[in-house]
Amino acid sequence: MATTDSTKQTLAQMGVDSPTKVASLFDDLRSAFDRDVAHEISSLDLEAARVKWLGRKAGILAEIGDNWLKPAAKEIKPAVGQSLNALKAHVEGQFTALAAAKDTAREQSAAARDQIDLSLPGVERAIGTRHLIRQTYEELERIFLSIGFRVVEGPEIETPYYNFEALNIPEHHPARDNMDTFYIEGSKAGHLLRTHTSPMQIRTMEKEKPPVRIIVPGKVYRRDNPDSTHGYMFHQIEGLAVDTDITFCDFKGTVEYFVREFLGPKAKTRLRPSYFPFTEPSAEVDATCHVCGGSGCRVCKFSGWIELFGAGMVNPAVYGCVNYDPEKLSGFAFGMGVDRLAMMKYGVGELPVLTQNDVRFLRQFP
Amino acid sequence: MKIVYNWLKEFVDATAPPAELRSRLSLAGVAVDSVEESAAGPVLDAEITANRPDCLGHYGMAREVAAIYRLPVKALQPKLKEAAIKASDATRVEIEAPELCGRYTARIMRGVKIQPSPDWLRQRLEAIGQNSINNVVDVTNYVMFELGQPMHAFDLDKLSERRIVVRRARAGEKIRTLDGVERALTKDMCVIADASRALAIAGVMGGSESEIGFASRNVLLESAWFDPITVRRTSKALGLRTEASYRFERGADPEMAELATRRAAELIQQLGGGEILSGVVDVYPGRAPAPSIELSRKELLRVMGADVPDRDIEEILAALGFHPSRTDAHRGTPGSLLAVWQCTQPSWRRDASRGIDLIEEVARHYGYDKFPPRLPPAKQPAHRLPHAEAQDRLRERVVALGYQEIVAIPLVDARRDEIFRAEGVAPAVIGNPLAEDASVMRSTGIVSMLGALEWNLNHGQRNLRLFEIGKTYELRDGEPVETAVLTLGATGLAREKTIHEAEREFTFADLKGDLDGIGKLAGRFGWQSGGPAWLAGGLASRISAGNSGALGVAGQLARRVADQLKLRQEIFVAELRLEPLLAGIEAARATEKFTLIPRFPAVERDFSLVLTDGVKFAQVADTIRALAIPELRSVEPADLFRGGKMPVGKFSLMIRVTFQSGETTLTDARIAECSSQIVAALESKLGATLRAS
Ligand SMILES: [Zn+2]
Repeated sequence: MATTDSTKQTLAQMGVDSPTKVASLFDDLRSAFDRDVAHEISSLDLEAARVKWLGRKAGILAEIGDNWLKPAAKEIKPAVGQSLNALKAHVEGQFTALAAAKDTAREQSAAARDQIDLSLPGVERAIGTRHLIRQTYEELERIFLSIGFRVVEGPEIETPYYNFEALNIPEHHPARDNMDTFYIEGSKAGHLLRTHTSPMQIRTMEKEKPPVRIIVPGKVYRRDNPDSTHGYMFHQIEGLAVDTDITFCDFKGTVEYFVREFLGPKAKTRLRPSYFPFTEPSAEVDATCHVCGGSGCRVCKFSGWIELFGAGMVNPAVYGCVNYDPEKLSGFAFGMGVDRLAMMKYGVGELPVLTQNDVRFLRQFP
Repeated sequence: MKIVYNWLKEFVDATAPPAELRSRLSLAGVAVDSVEESAAGPVLDAEITANRPDCLGHYGMAREVAAIYRLPVKALQPKLKEAAIKASDATRVEIEAPELCGRYTARIMRGVKIQPSPDWLRQRLEAIGQNSINNVVDVTNYVMFELGQPMHAFDLDKLSERRIVVRRARAGEKIRTLDGVERALTKDMCVIADASRALAIAGVMGGSESEIGFASRNVLLESAWFDPITVRRTSKALGLRTEASYRFERGADPEMAELATRRAAELIQQLGGGEILSGVVDVYPGRAPAPSIELSRKELLRVMGADVPDRDIEEILAALGFHPSRTDAHRGTPGSLLAVWQCTQPSWRRDASRGIDLIEEVARHYGYDKFPPRLPPAKQPAHRLPHAEAQDRLRERVVALGYQEIVAIPLVDARRDEIFRAEGVAPAVIGNPLAEDASVMRSTGIVSMLGALEWNLNHGQRNLRLFEIGKTYELRDGEPVETAVLTLGATGLAREKTIHEAEREFTFADLKGDLDGIGKLAGRFGWQSGGPAWLAGGLASRISAGNSGALGVAGQLARRVADQLKLRQEIFVAELRLEPLLAGIEAARATEKFTLIPRFPAVERDFSLVLTDGVKFAQVADTIRALAIPELRSVEPADLFRGGKMPVGKFSLMIRVTFQSGETTLTDARIAECSSQIVAALESKLGATLRAS
């Protein structure tokens, strides 16, 4: 039986003189390699084994080339060459496979050693937040921009004319009962803190010819003693669309579109007749109660509906103040309480939270 | 307005149960909040809008119900057993101020027994939230809630000369009202007087001197129409709101006045006996013909966008008392597009005087739900606010820097605002504040920012970075001026301790870095020393930006001010005017262009300089830049050192200079050449010396 020592001798010295003997010799060598390497893998000295077998000068395969192949007799030389190539391919293949296996094993043990506790937090960078009111405004703006509204802004300190008279609310109108007003001291024009964003309806129509299609976000003020639903200030978004062909049906379609976009495709809309001095016909816009889904609960006083905002067709009396022809033009207007919409949608229980600016609240809406 | 279900049904044969009535009324414009049980049966709590005083009585509500169910309203026909003596022989009524009192009717009853009311009357009054007093007073109340017509009963025997004069109050005149308060009257107010003195404030409240008591026998029943504006003014001036003033200021029905006295007399006779003198004393200077109103289908279609059948139009308007009749040439043709109806305004509907008012009446009773929704085509492009994109970028940047957005009420404490108000600024002061801490519109966002920081510090939150995009307010020559501002506030730790990192306090350098991060959007910010007195002297800074000039201030809150506001932590704040900042962002955006990324490596050289105190980093950088070395890329401060081995009056600054060429790899020789140029310049211009390292 051939051992690895045999590679130091020539074939002739070993009496190998036929292809059959060559084959048998190489088979023995291959078995020796397999045994050798199987042994080595457990002791992990792969590099030593590689040198022993594939070393350029003293490696076994190099010795075969020098001692067996070169001096081989002509008759067996091709057989020796083929067998040597086959053995070489086998040995190299095995070493590649073993090296890969060893790397994997090493990675696995390293991974086991370095396994991080993923329940620990990483290094979190402080990132700020936009206020919930701001986020709601952005949402509302996006909805109305998508149907051709333009955003405009106006002053918070207004004149009584724009806040009341031009909106068909003369001085002794009972509708002023719901709009207790803060007045500015020492202003010649009797300036006040606007009680709604509606003055921008007038300011816009004074400046622009129809078609007009605007929304007006902004702060408004009421002289109400603060409680869980009232504050000195809240946020509104006003809408106005005036043209030669705007009808109640357009008003209804716009409002329904808004409700679906804001509250989701399942939300239903109901228009309930109401009264505002600057719209006629007027309506309260109700939506399916977000708490019970319409079946009735305490929040909706068992009606299945929640009041969202007031709206209506522009009262022709308003056109008189802005030189619009009430016989040719028509339009609709609405005024939404943004705080109320945000509170409803995000379940904020009380109004003061929105302006206390407690970071524990601010962080809740990243 | 509370509606007793069974009372309502006395005037209309509606069979709908209360819950159904609730929802039908709500959908016709009378919002009913709830239905509750009472001793008088179910009670509906209805919200009556300011335009519908006619619904402030059960009879008026019955008209609405009748229109909803297309039923007739039952006529009210009180049956009186009248005595032979005429009321007009027992009293006299004179209206001296017809502009304040359009109608005054009086009925006289004699020998009435004043006593407690029977159960049914007490229960109904209690069901609508009214206390029972005595049968006569209760009846006047009852009739008001039945017909919407306020009434008053006088003790006839307490009237001087037993006559009524309706006049303006006299200068200095006083009256003690039923609530026991003595009230000073003015000549803008209307009073009911006898021959000598004011007995009642017209339409608001009676006086205690002529009040009905259990000893009263003879009664004068008043039912009148008073001018709404006068009643409203009077009621506001006296701070006295009553069920009567509530109705009169919204507009009572002048035609109802006489019927109400009949109804009241009938009930009083049933409950307290006595005799009713025949006839009514009725002075009616304000009588006016009923206006006619036109409704055309063309207009209805133009406003509503969808049609309503003739029959519905006519039934609804008829049920509401408008007596519609087709007057157009096509009246034989139902559904004609040219249909026109002439209607008459009922005396109880002064609110409805135009075609649009009738359209609303038809639409609400026909049902808003019957009009199909449609989205109007957009004819113009949608637009956000001018500068909205720049503001988005700004907000995005501030949020990325770790600041949380706040929204504050701009009404603030005047004394606090004053601390931060710039000299010469006239604040917008509230003339009628509800509280001292909300008595002025803020002159600066700093006030609100400190309020928000304070709230959080008082609630256990000590590491804060907040911002607000809001406005400041002031008066200039009596005209309001609103200025948009960005306000920043920070305190506590810039970085909290974690298992990975140590904690670090927020410092002025953090604020400056954050502001410069914002400034990068607008070219860059310039910084100058100095600022308002409420900032700590050494750190007070003014910020400017390119062409926009002065933008605002930044710094640390002066300890003196922080102590005054009981803020123990170091507080850092900044406020920038928004408009120039956004303009700067837009201008910078417009000029931003790509520059080629250099292919050749950059080389850094550090210079340890010893400088005289007072020399600023900017001078060093400017001196180097002035050399106009084409390969110069940047000059950065790398280390700053004072004290130790440094001689007094000197400090050490290490700067890191980066060179890079767009065309070639820099040679050591070229770097050395540039370096010696820099050292020479710094030595000659700033007296710098290189520090041996
Ligand atoms: Zn519900």
